[in-house]
Amino acid sequence: MVTLTYYPGCSLKTGSKFYEASIQKVFSTYGIGLRELPDWSCCGASAAHTIDEDVAHVLVARNLAIAEKQELNFFAPCSACYSRSKITNDTIRSDISLQDRLNDAIAPLECTGSLEIKNIIEVLDDHVGVSVIAKKKRFDLSALRVVPYYGCVLTRLMRVKPFDDRENPRSMDGLLEALGATVLDWPFKMECCGAAKTLTDKEMTVRLSERIMARAIGAGADAIVTPCPLCQMNLDLLPSLGSTIPVIPTLFLSEVFELALYGRMIGLSSHFVPAETVVTKIKEA
Amino acid sequence: MDDLTFLKEMERESAEQISACYQCYRCTTGCPALPEMDIVPHRVIRYIMLGERDKVLASRTIWSCLQCYTCSVRCPNDIHIGHVFDTARKIAVRENKALSDVWTFDTLFLDSVRKHGRLYEMEAIMRYKLKKKDLFSDTRMGLDMMRKGRMALLPHNIKDKKGLQRALGRLAQKARET
Repeated sequence: MVTLTYYPGCSLKTGSKFYEASIQKVFSTYGIGLRELPDWSCCGASAAHTIDEDVAHVLVARNLAIAEKQELNFFAPCSACYSRSKITNDTIRSDISLQDRLNDAIAPLECTGSLEIKNIIEVLDDHVGVSVIAKKKRFDLSALRVVPYYGCVLTRLMRVKPFDDRENPRSMDGLLEALGATVLDWPFKMECCGAAKTLTDKEMTVRLSERIMARAIGAGADAIVTPCPLCQMNLDLLPSLGSTIPVIPTLFLSEVFELALYGRMIGLSSHFVPAETVVTKIKEA
Repeated sequence: MDDLTFLKEMERESAEQISACYQCYRCTTGCPALPEMDIVPHRVIRYIMLGERDKVLASRTIWSCLQCYTCSVRCPNDIHIGHVFDTARKIAVRENKALSDVWTFDTLFLDSVRKHGRLYEMEAIMRYKLKKKDLFSDTRMGLDMMRKGRMALLPHNIKDKKGLQRALGRLAQKARET
């Protein structure tokens, strides 16, 4: 039994509430306790560092400081939150002048980078493990063909050590295999979905997300699986953005766990692209 | 002799050793944003070395960049190219050279976080739309998101907004002093 500080970030409280519900359900089955970070603030996402590097660090530092008091490792399911938090956390461990600068700003709060920042793949790998995952599954997912889609920011980290290979991560593949899903090989694990351009350059997001969607369908997938709320949103929104290409559902990683553990998903009706087809592929084991 | 002033300025502001580039084109071959760019990435780097300040700061490329860092992780000379472009954006904005939609939206995003402690997406999007005088181009997306309960109608304010604003204020104060 492990307890983690849970940093939901803005997405899991607004656009991807069903991701939060899904994680809470799956984690409680495995005995992972989550304690939501008190009075957490936004990590700055893709916007803050473009405007001012130090502003981005200060936004994270405030959250880290509150979390360090709880002395529990820091779990951030959103890839942007994870990446921004990890960059600041791991950098201030050795960059003491940055640490001092941030602490001067957030005083009386204080952070030193003492915690580990973990994403959902790491938590499931480290605190449950593939053998327990394989043993505890109750439904047969072998008819479900999925492509693992990691997105950009989870492992493409500069100057800090990523948790998996920067260009060809395998960790989520391993989890999906342990769940018994048919995991397809494809070259777009890390291709960009268009990220935050959805509003400022919709055509660009559509172009990039369509490429990923078409590749996934070409590989023979029934669903795309991702841990990232922004990737999920962009791919799932394609028809709403005016795209007319064929689409398949984009599932959160934790939703595949739901399918293997309970045979259904809490967030089924929250998907833009109907995801019922996915559920019908699941059989009692 | 080429003018190295701009190269030095970019290296100082980005803390990247841009002059290590030997034009292998790896950044360009992997870039997913090429169709939206006017100057391909390895050429931007070359222009920086050649001192083509105006060309770089006015380029569409630095704003089309998705900050996906494919180029950065592939650079054999360990140049964080995404960050170099990000740095060029800051200089361009400082000098009013290229006000872009990306900058407008990022600024509104950060305003919202300053005000509430968390992003109030609806407010940031509506302010952006008003600024652009374009209220209806994303209506379908907005309606679909509301229908599915994926767009919060009300803001969420953190309790210690004052603390957060004080921290950001101190940072700005310090930046003014140095």
